Amino acid sequence: MSDSATRSGNRRRLPVALRVGAALLSVFVGMALVSLVWTPSSSEGIDVAARLAPPGSEGHILGTDRLGRDVLTQIMSGARNSLMVSVVATLAALIPGLALGLLVVAGSSRWQFVMSRVVDLGVALPGILVALVLATAIGPGNVAAMAAIAVWFVPILARLMIGPARQILAYDYVEAAYAYGRSRWFVLMRHVLPNIRSLIIVQVTIMFSLAINVEAALSYLGVGAQRPTPSWGRMLYEGQPFIQDAPHLMIYPGLAITLTVLAYNLVGDGMRTWFDPQQKAKAVAR
Amino acid sequence: MLRLLLRSTVTLVLSALGGSLVIFLLLRALGGDIATSILGVSADPASVAALGAELGLDRPWAVQYLDWLAGFAQGDLGRSYGLRYDIAEVIGNRIGVTLSLAFFAMVIAAALALFFGSYSAINAHRRRGGLVSAATQLGLAVPTFWVGLMMISVFSIQLGWLPSGEYVPWTESLWGAVRSLLMPVLALSIPLTAIFTRYVRSAMLDVLEEDFMRTARAKGRTLHGAIGVHGIRNASISLVTVGVMQLGVLIAGTVVIERVFSLPGLGDLVVSAIGSREVLVVQSTVFVILLIILCLNFLMDISYGLLDPRIRDAEREASHV
Repeated sequence: MSDSATRSGNRRRLPVALRVGAALLSVFVGMALVSLVWTPSSSEGIDVAARLAPPGSEGHILGTDRLGRDVLTQIMSGARNSLMVSVVATLAALIPGLALGLLVVAGSSRWQFVMSRVVDLGVALPGILVALVLATAIGPGNVAAMAAIAVWFVPILARLMIGPARQILAYDYVEAAYAYGRSRWFVLMRHVLPNIRSLIIVQVTIMFSLAINVEAALSYLGVGAQRPTPSWGRMLYEGQPFIQDAPHLMIYPGLAITLTVLAYNLVGDGMRTWFDPQQKAKAVAR
Repeated sequence: MLRLLLRSTVTLVLSALGGSLVIFLLLRALGGDIATSILGVSADPASVAALGAELGLDRPWAVQYLDWLAGFAQGDLGRSYGLRYDIAEVIGNRIGVTLSLAFFAMVIAAALALFFGSYSAINAHRRRGGLVSAATQLGLAVPTFWVGLMMISVFSIQLGWLPSGEYVPWTESLWGAVRSLLMPVLALSIPLTAIFTRYVRSAMLDVLEEDFMRTARAKGRTLHGAIGVHGIRNASISLVTVGVMQLGVLIAGTVVIERVFSLPGLGDLVVSAIGSREVLVVQSTVFVILLIILCLNFLMDISYGLLDPRIRDAEREASHV
C-alpha cells in the first residue's frame, strides 16, 4: 500500500503520533549521547554544601540531591542507562522469541496446542517476578534486570506472532510453495517472517517502552542498577525520604520515565497506523 | 463442560508444577551455595557445612524439591533460613493485603474503562473522544509507583488528607482500611484503566455498527439506552479477556506499590527477602504469587465456558477431532 502511494509521487504524510513520538524520543536519545561526552557536572560530584538545592539554583538547573549531586546530570546519565537496558533486553529476546513462535506453528496441531499452552504460561509470568527470582539468584544489578526482561519478552513475542503466522500458513501461495517442493522451514523463513515484519517492528517498539518501565520499577525496588550506574528508578528510591523537603527529587526522574515511555508508545502507535491505515480508527494497544 | 473442567484442571496442575520447577532450579542453579551466602565468604568451611546440614541443603536437589512440594501440599513452607520465621504463617498474614489491592484496582479500572471507553467510542469523531485517547496514552506511560509517590506528596504531605505508610487491616477498622488502601489502589488502577479503555472503545465501536443496535434504536431506544442495555454487555466480554491477560501486570504492579506505601503484602515480603538473601522465602512467596495468577486464569477459563456457549461448543468439536 505504501509502495503504490510512493510510486505515484503522492507521498502519505507520517502519522502525527509518529512525528511527535520521534521528536520526543530524539530529545532523550540526544541527552543520552551528550552525557557520554559532557554533563553539567561530574555525575558522582558530591558537594555536601549544596545538598538538596532547589531547581534553579546557581549551576544546578534542576537542583541537587541529598549529597549535592546535580539532578540534571543524573537525568542525562539515567537516559543512557534506561535506553541501553531497553535496547539490549529487547534485542536479546528478539531471535529466541521469533524462533519459539516459528517452532510452535511449525508442528502438528497437537504440538501447536501443547506448545501454545506453554507459551501462555510464560506470558502469564510477570517480568518483575522473573526479575525478583533472578536478583535473588545472581544478585541485584543491571544484568539481572536485563536478563529478566529478555526472558519475560520471549513468550510475549512468540504469542504475538502465532496467530498471524497461522493465518499466512493458510494462504494458497503457501500451498503452492509446498506443491513446488519447498520445505516447511523454507516457507516459514521466506513467506511467514517477511509478512509479519511490520507487526514485529511495532512490537519491538512497544517492548522498548515496557522495558523502560520495568527497569525503572526494578531500580526503584533496589534490584536493578546499583551505584555508580545512573538510573532514574533509583533516583526516585533515593529521593523518597526527602519527599517533603525536596519534591524536585521525585518530579524530574518520574517525568523522564513517563516521557520516554510515552515517546516509544507514540512511535509504536504511529507505525501501526502507517503500516495498516484501516486500523487507524480502532487501534488497540498490545 | 466436564471436558473443559478436566482440561483446565490438568493445565493448572501442570503449569504449577512447571512453574515451581523453574523457580526452584533458577534459585539453586544460579544462586551458588546458600549456606556460604548466609555466613559470608570468609566463614570457615566446617560451620558452612554444619549450617548446610541443619537447613537440609546437603541433600540432593531432587529430594529438596520434592520435600518442598510435599510440604507445600500440607501448608508447611518451612522456616526462613535467616530469621527462622514460619514462612506459611507470614504469607498467610500478608496475602490479604496483596489480594485486596489487586481486586479493588481491577474493579475500579473495569468500571472506569466501561465509562470512558463507551464515551470515547460514541464521540469517536469529536474532540472530546480524542481527549480520552490522549489520556489513555498518558495513563499507559506513567509508572504506577511514581503516581503513588506523587499522590503521597500531594494528598498526604501537602494536604494531609490521607495517611501513607500506616496500614490498617480490614478486621481492625473498615474505614481505616479504605483510607490506607485508597491511594495505592487508585495508582494501581491507572495503567489498567488505560489499557481496558482502549479495548472497550474498540469493542464499542464494533457494537455500534451491529444490526441489533439499529433495531434497538428503531424500537425507540435512545442511543444511550441502547448502549446501556446492549453495548455495555457486549463490550464486557472483551473486557474479561483483557482482564485475564493483564493479571500478571496487575500482580507485578502490587509488588512495587506495596514498597511505595510500605504495605505489608507479599511483594514487600519478597523484596525485603532479596535484601537479606532469604532464598527459601523468595522461592515460596514467588510460587504463591504464581499460583494466584494461575488459579485466576483457571477460574476465568471455567467462567468463559459457563458464560459463552460458543466456547463449550468449540470444546465439544475439538474432542471429536
